[in-house]
Amino acid sequence: MLKFLGTTVAGATLALMAGRALANPYAEYEGTTLIVNFPAHPHYNAVMKILPEFTKETGIEVEVDQLPYLKMRERQTLELAQEEGEYDLIAYVVFSKADYVYADQLENLAKYVMNPKLSDPNYDADDLIDGYVYNIGFAGGTKGYLEGKTGSLFGIPYGSETSILGYRKDIFEKHGLEVPETYDEMLELACKIPELEPGMGGVASRAASGHHASHAYLLHLAPLGGRIFDDSWNPTMNSAEGVAAAEALKKIVDCGPEGAKNFGFGEALGAFLNGDTAMFLDTTVVAGQIDDPSRSQVVGKVGWALHPMGARRGSQTGGFGIGIPANALNKDAAFLLMQWLTSKRGDKLVALAGGNPSRFSTHADPDVNAKFPHMATFGEALKHADPDWRPIIPVWGKINADLGTTLSKVLTEDLDIQEALDGVAERTKAVMTEAGYYTWQ
Amino acid sequence: MKTANRLTPYMFMAPAALIMAIALLYPLGYMVWGSFRDWNPSQTIGEAEFVGLKNYITLWGDPNFRESLGVTLRFAFFVVTFEMVIGVGLALLLDRNIRGMSVLRTLFILPMMIAPVVVGLMWRYMYHPTVGTFNRTLDGLGLGKIDWLGQHALTSVIIADIWQWTPFIFILALAALQSLPRSALEAARIDGATAWQQVWHIKLPLMMPVLIVTGLLRLIDAFKVLEVILVMTEGGPGLSTEILALRISRTATEFRELGVAAAMSNYLLILLLGLTLAMFAFTRWQEARARRVRAAAEEDL
Repeated sequence: MLKFLGTTVAGATLALMAGRALANPYAEYEGTTLIVNFPAHPHYNAVMKILPEFTKETGIEVEVDQLPYLKMRERQTLELAQEEGEYDLIAYVVFSKADYVYADQLENLAKYVMNPKLSDPNYDADDLIDGYVYNIGFAGGTKGYLEGKTGSLFGIPYGSETSILGYRKDIFEKHGLEVPETYDEMLELACKIPELEPGMGGVASRAASGHHASHAYLLHLAPLGGRIFDDSWNPTMNSAEGVAAAEALKKIVDCGPEGAKNFGFGEALGAFLNGDTAMFLDTTVVAGQIDDPSRSQVVGKVGWALHPMGARRGSQTGGFGIGIPANALNKDAAFLLMQWLTSKRGDKLVALAGGNPSRFSTHADPDVNAKFPHMATFGEALKHADPDWRPIIPVWGKINADLGTTLSKVLTEDLDIQEALDGVAERTKAVMTEAGYYTWQ
Repeated sequence: MKTANRLTPYMFMAPAALIMAIALLYPLGYMVWGSFRDWNPSQTIGEAEFVGLKNYITLWGDPNFRESLGVTLRFAFFVVTFEMVIGVGLALLLDRNIRGMSVLRTLFILPMMIAPVVVGLMWRYMYHPTVGTFNRTLDGLGLGKIDWLGQHALTSVIIADIWQWTPFIFILALAALQSLPRSALEAARIDGATAWQQVWHIKLPLMMPVLIVTGLLRLIDAFKVLEVILVMTEGGPGLSTEILALRISRTATEFRELGVAAAMSNYLLILLLGLTLAMFAFTRWQEARARRVRAAAEEDL
């Protein structure tokens, strides 16, 4: 009898445990330590603040290896090529997507989403911002990097950015200026401001040789109606729209603060924070710094508006995504972390900690908006985020560098714009031929 | 037994030779092997496709590589020339017993001890167009501002390098000066040689072997400088300060073409090897000439 009782109690306990296990999808992974690789970046600094919450809820420990983002890419390149990797989850820059997916180094997420034990039915993937999902997470669709029927998901956007126009409310009010809505208005204002406020530049922009100049040019190319390639991969940066974008960049730099020709991102932001320019057209990630009195002299003086419109609206899509390396050791637990971070709750937590949310609902959330009033405008800007504002193909690094150094020559040595871009187009054509993009033509 | 005896010295040398081979030749061989492949960092070297001399040929036709090579040659020529002249000049001036000399010497070699990244940052801020020391001083004196890192980027980078590395030449030149045979100088003084004559005809010729090696070391270093320029200009504007070391680093990380980067490194290696050999040949020739002169002088006696 005693034996029977014992068995019953044991059976009941087991059943109870099994029931608990069903109620807690994390139980199986309790005590697991995940090693993740994140960049040193304002968004991921905010992520660090919410990770303890994840551990408390799930019992899964997370160890973070945080590196400057270019260093991070180098490290990942080496790590992902190993048979057994050190990282369970990585954050990657948009342009790494092509390299990693092409080398078969990122897990296709389908099998995790299909797994009922792992996939949270309340995740609401439709709430994730479309442009970013396709830009950062999707591969294999149209052109290989865009949305399309042949594509699938390899990562989820996390720490995504778009471009936005910051302007000095006080200066605009003082001179009765209207916030520019179109490119023509912005360019006119860019050169008018140095006349109205001697010593102040119009727009702070990156311009230094290499990826800085190229980034600044691409910011204008999409809204002005241009593209780097047409649908058959023919370079089109030397089209009329491409030339207009370079002219816009040159005008902005010429009417910018002193030394603007050599500004990297840090200097351009620094100029705006110091009050040396009346406008700033670049990524949304700067919002936190602009309101930080220890770094900024323009706290409370900055208003935000959409990236001005040219032939169309087209703000940039950039930032980071998170994915599971193919050589990770704890893939299931890594997926759980990924899902938790990008869930509605995780996204709101990170937004409140100062990060960049990736969901529409977070941008519209009253708590988030009460703490960060700019969030509503940023959410609006995201609707116009253009996933094709630059190509994400393996040879882009080389083309980008050529474009950036050539544009730097345009800005500093007064090279003829059409001639310079014709040169880039010709060299790009050679790079693309070599990489096999015209095999089927 | 005899064979064993003959082999003994080689046996003693074997461990050292083995370590040399592994530590020196293996990485070098790896680089040479890699330069014949179309190799991106996501692949292991074995997976990369063998393309023969293609990387070398492509580079030769690449205007950016040629421009970068030109920048490197100009940079190396100017920095080494100026550093040699200033360094040796300073050594000649300071080769005397002045009070506080050792403090002065320590001060002189300070720049060399600063980490290159710090040097780059320091100069970058001194060259800053509005808040930099130089432009503020020029502005204060009523002179126009100079676009240091824009229009005069290469010159600005050269000035920073001269500031950092002249002490290296100075310290070696001073050591050479102080080890010169005093008898020759005394004899010259007794014969009534002026200070200039002593410098031209005695000090400099006697220092020459040291100066050649010093110059060569600086030249090799100047071809490989990276951090200071990376921090100051990132190679810009355009490609005006993109020296080869920087281009190699960008090719490997930004363009992800390890094979091309390896080929570029090999070109640099061949160039430096050529310079080193030329320098050695020159020293040999000079020594041989000195020997001939001495022999002729002895015959005359």
